[in-house]
Amino acid sequence: MANRVAIVGVGQTHHRSKRPDVNVPELVNEAVRAALADAQMKMKDIEAVFVSNMEMFEGIYLPDHWIADEDGNFMKPGFKIAAGGTSGIASAKEGWHFLSAGIFDTAMLIGFEKLDSGDTTAAITTATTLAWGKGEARGAIGEFAKQAANYMQQSGATDVHAAMVRLKADQCACRNEYAHLKLGLKSVDDILKSPFLEWPLRLLDFCPQSCGACALIIATEEKARKITKKPVWIADVVSVHQLPFRAGAFCDLDGREPYSEDLASVKLYKRNGITNVRRDIDMAEIYEPSNWEEMFLCEVFHFCEKNEGWKMIEKGMTGIEGEFPVNPSGGVISSNPIGATPTVRMAECALQIRGDAGTHQVTRDVKAAVATALGGPNWTAMVLLKRSL
Amino acid sequence: MAEKPSQEYVFVSYKLPLPYRWAAGKYLSKLYKEMRDHKKLVTNRCPQCRQLIWPPEMVCGRCKVRAGDEWVELSDKGKVVGYTYMVVPLWDPHKGMRVPEEHPYATILLDDGMYVVSRLEEKDKSKLKVGMRVQAVWKEEGRGHGLDEDILYFRTIG
Repeated sequence: MANRVAIVGVGQTHHRSKRPDVNVPELVNEAVRAALADAQMKMKDIEAVFVSNMEMFEGIYLPDHWIADEDGNFMKPGFKIAAGGTSGIASAKEGWHFLSAGIFDTAMLIGFEKLDSGDTTAAITTATTLAWGKGEARGAIGEFAKQAANYMQQSGATDVHAAMVRLKADQCACRNEYAHLKLGLKSVDDILKSPFLEWPLRLLDFCPQSCGACALIIATEEKARKITKKPVWIADVVSVHQLPFRAGAFCDLDGREPYSEDLASVKLYKRNGITNVRRDIDMAEIYEPSNWEEMFLCEVFHFCEKNEGWKMIEKGMTGIEGEFPVNPSGGVISSNPIGATPTVRMAECALQIRGDAGTHQVTRDVKAAVATALGGPNWTAMVLLKRSL
Repeated sequence: MAEKPSQEYVFVSYKLPLPYRWAAGKYLSKLYKEMRDHKKLVTNRCPQCRQLIWPPEMVCGRCKVRAGDEWVELSDKGKVVGYTYMVVPLWDPHKGMRVPEEHPYATILLDDGMYVVSRLEEKDKSKLKVGMRVQAVWKEEGRGHGLDEDILYFRTIG
């Protein structure tokens, strides 16, 4: 029988577009200290450290070595995972494996990115296997632009719906002290008049580049119950890889290949007895690089029926006071320190389950929440978090 | 909490010229040479599921078996399944500069069932639509270094 594992401490930085006042290790240290303070633990209580970061965004080979003093990893086991947008949950998954197996009883999971260091889009472009996908230098933006155009065509959603998602995200972000972009948007018109970046994506339709770090402390059951009165249990973790980039197509546009989100979520729900997603799960923090993507992801994660993702925002279901809040933190479109982004998704779900999300605490009582991450050629990682097992 | 700038912060700038040279490998090389020398698209077929693999490679990801050397010539015609066009030029690390684009680009589903991403000849945005039929226009002198090196763009057909 595998050990039960819970999140017992959560810490994150105030995500910003630029952090000239700190270097990478100093940025990471802010999140590490915050998580230790939250759990009322010392670094000596942490047995291993698992890190999530993409080397090419900061241009540092072996960033985990650079931060080994500031993240407490010095003379302790652990490793770094670089798996694009899924890294934060991929590293959490590894930490969970080690604790489940009884190798360690405590671990820290750290995601970080300091995107003011280099050109993120240029770095992402190298994800296309360079002997094959070269010459399509659009990073993530081009792929999400095509997905948005396709979603518009298939689902009947309009740019007004996308703008409603963006407005909701900003309203949430303005209530979250850690969020990066807090624009104070007043109406959908504010979004609709922002300039096009790559059609049909407008500047405000896409996520920013953020500097930020997030740390989670996890512990096995006996320890967890001693550390905190409010452990947040990691009920399950699923990840599914898509076939690698073919022609640079981010998804299978004619429906021949299943979406990794679909496979991952169906597996997660089945394994955990979830038969009615919006009843059995109380909220979600998903990796939505664009507002269009949020509507699409709601469908492939089965939060709603196909082609109805835009109806969820139209009916006001996904806001902080809604019946099924999606990204009450403001989401990725408000803050995107890539290596930390999925870690933040888990942290935010944990805070909501604990009732500690403060000014952006959702109205619905959150007993179960799902955090998701998306990376590379549409692969998916999902975590189910619960108040009690 | 981000500190208010109360002092001069030091930045260390660094340009990193890292030239790379990738081996295309046995399977991609075959495709690239066919494109360069005969203006043809080719790929290999999985001996188990009989599906065409794209791009050609040594393992069928679905069946997890060696894909072998049963080569098939592909049509260079297809239909647009998704498109976009860049409004703000992005940094292209392969070229080391921001590259404005004249042509929209699209994901194209070839008639034999594989995707390619390429530019479209049609610049009039109002004439772009999903489902439009297109065919590759080949460069006169291909270099054999990849799809975009040898295919100029896709032209709207009938």
